[in-house]
Amino acid sequence: MSRLFEFTGDGDFCPGGSLYPNPKETSVFLSLGRHVDVYFPTRKRSRVSAPFVFSGDQLKQKKQASIDVLPDECLFEIFRRLPAGQERSACACVSKRWLLLMSNIRGDELCCNKATLPLKLEDLSGQNEEVSGAEPAAIKDDGYLSRVLEGKKATDVRLAAIAVGTSSHGGLGKLLIRGNNSIRGVTDLGLRAVARGCPSLKVLSIWNVSSVGDEGLIEIANGCRQLEKLELRHCNAVSDKALIFLAKSCPNLTDISIDSCSTIQNEGLKAIGHSCRNLKSISINNCPHVGDQGIASLLSNASCVLTKVKLQTLHVTDLSLAVIGHYGKAVTDLILANLQNVSERGFWVMGKGHGLQKLRSFAVTSCQGMTDLGLEALGKGCPNLKQLRVHKCAFLSDSGLDSFAKTALSLERLQLEECHQITQYGLFTVLANCAVKLKSLTLVHCLGMKDLNMGSPMLSPCKSLRSLSIRHCPGFGDVSLVMLAKLCPNLQHVDLSGLQRVTDAGFMPLLENCDGGLVKINISGCTNLTDKAVSAIAEMHGWTLEVLNLEGCLKVGNTSLVAIAENCPLLNDLDVSLCAVTDFGIAALAHADQLNLQILSISGCTQISEKCLPALRKLGQSLVGLNLQHCSGISKKSVDLLVEHLWRCDILH
Amino acid sequence: MASSRKITLRSSDGESFEVEEAVAVESQTIKHMIEDDCADNAIPLPNVTSKILAKVIEYCKKHVDASKAEDRVNDEDLKAWDAAFIKVDQVDQATLFDLILAANYLNIKSLLDLTCQTVADMIKGNLFPVRNEWLNFTFSIANRELVLVCLTEWVAHRRLFCS
Repeated sequence: MSRLFEFTGDGDFCPGGSLYPNPKETSVFLSLGRHVDVYFPTRKRSRVSAPFVFSGDQLKQKKQASIDVLPDECLFEIFRRLPAGQERSACACVSKRWLLLMSNIRGDELCCNKATLPLKLEDLSGQNEEVSGAEPAAIKDDGYLSRVLEGKKATDVRLAAIAVGTSSHGGLGKLLIRGNNSIRGVTDLGLRAVARGCPSLKVLSIWNVSSVGDEGLIEIANGCRQLEKLELRHCNAVSDKALIFLAKSCPNLTDISIDSCSTIQNEGLKAIGHSCRNLKSISINNCPHVGDQGIASLLSNASCVLTKVKLQTLHVTDLSLAVIGHYGKAVTDLILANLQNVSERGFWVMGKGHGLQKLRSFAVTSCQGMTDLGLEALGKGCPNLKQLRVHKCAFLSDSGLDSFAKTALSLERLQLEECHQITQYGLFTVLANCAVKLKSLTLVHCLGMKDLNMGSPMLSPCKSLRSLSIRHCPGFGDVSLVMLAKLCPNLQHVDLSGLQRVTDAGFMPLLENCDGGLVKINISGCTNLTDKAVSAIAEMHGWTLEVLNLEGCLKVGNTSLVAIAENCPLLNDLDVSLCAVTDFGIAALAHADQLNLQILSISGCTQISEKCLPALRKLGQSLVGLNLQHCSGISKKSVDLLVEHLWRCDILH
Repeated sequence: MASSRKITLRSSDGESFEVEEAVAVESQTIKHMIEDDCADNAIPLPNVTSKILAKVIEYCKKHVDASKAEDRVNDEDLKAWDAAFIKVDQVDQATLFDLILAANYLNIKSLLDLTCQTVADMIKGNLFPVRNEWLNFTFSIANRELVLVCLTEWVAHRRLFCS
């Protein structure tokens, strides 16, 4: 490639500006070299103290012989005959005009002369002795390269260069365009270049490019027949026309995602439903003109093999849910979010449709229609449901949960967030009814949880539950926790973050009842837990504990650290941010020979001073991550020294 | 052969050339003009000079003769003749480009193939005498970016095969 830089004309480096208005004519100075003193005043005559004299004729002659006299179609004919690789890339470097011409050559228009093949073999084997002569020169266009263009770099020119460059060594398989250069961004021209040069493109994802329209995507449809995944986000100039073409031309489309494209309407979805026989995953978000017609025609195809469906923020009604419930025979994952026009009837019909036999995972967010009736119908209609997540559905109450739990025999994971009508009764019925298969239960920010004494009903424990997570439910306290402890004997992961009402008395029974040994414990934000609780953790579960998060436990101090040091050989992730620990505690951790901490956080521990640095250095032998943010007792200089010393560790400060 | 019609072609600088119809219709452009009955008088070719037109006619004549049964010429001999025909112009790029322009305008596929392939081979073989003349010397931002991107692609390619 050094030939590119053979020129010695100083076109843009000379102080005064170019001598001739047309920079190409500086070629006459090729022979001058650096030893010549040349003065270039702007736009004036030159005074060249050089031994060469040139006449006007010579200039004229050189000007005539320039290849740029040829019109585009002739240059095109020449470029078509160039072999792939260095020559094509070099010509693409000459000017934007050449690059765009080069990028517009379609695969079937290229003629690879037989004479070029032996040349390539020589080229390759000359560089690398290991490559035996048996390697064929034609590089297969498998499409395993991927490129990402973001922001300022997303321009047509780059796309053209990528199209030309990748076609000679492997082919472009994945192209992600994120954002747009504000001055000269991506347009249909750039996509056309990609369509012509990258027939093996499989994944195309375009975000936030409003200058790309139907033309560009139609070119892609015609040129990239092997397209499998298409993602359009905030592309407001793309309409149904493009979708129709894409659906017809790309039989391998399996994944389509359309997000915030205001011009997409039902016609596009209809075409997808009709022509995309292999479509497995569809996600539509925030397209105001998409309605029931589109969703219905998408799903009601006999050959529908859709397994993942996500509908968010659309003006669909109960009808769409009815269609899903009836025709979703292959659907395994369903996500419905923010469907304002869907009522209770929609969910009920969906459950009653008995089409969702294969549904494994269902997530609902912000749908007013998700009520007790709906949930009950779903429990009955989806016998294979393993995972349910309900977020911000204010009308769901304990009775719905109860009837659901009785019929959802396969349920393994349940997550309820911001469902404020759910109380601890609902919680316990779930545990009681799903005693055999439920593995994970999560409650987040459910304000309905109160700490009322329910007496002691005889409920059989849920032996399958391994992970229990109750986060930021302000009403949850000791009484409920004690009840829970009796019902969950086989826990491995416990997450009780933000439960400020829980005290040691409520927490201990949980530790005592867990037979197997806890592996991950998160009690961050439980401000009423003290050293007693943590010491109990260390003593009772130290032999299995791997992750412990005590962030914000203001009453936890050095005693806990000593207990941890003595009892927890498997611990690799410890977070004591904002705890009342001092240097002594850290030293205790360092002294423990069997402890191999990998991640440690002491951020916000103001009582820690420089004295703990030797301990940190010793711990650093196994640490990969250390958080020292807001440790006001350690000076910046010491932190920098530590960073240098523990070069293998990622230190936040 | 039966007497074929003679067609008169006039170059841009006023010179007239008389050729047999069979030779003239090697050019699709002229062929269409004849079919559309525009060829009663001389056919004006304002884009082609006499020097170039003479060479084009020489080329077409040779190829028409080669396809006739009597003067059956070997394929290889014809290729050799083509190579010699074009070699003369390798030194003079201007004529070569003018031939491309003429072949394009007159729509003579075989001549276009020959000339464009020659230029392509010269690019490939670095045979153009002043190669860097093609590269814009003012490496403006657009070009730098181009060069960088194309270079990166090429370097990646080399690394793939030469590491």
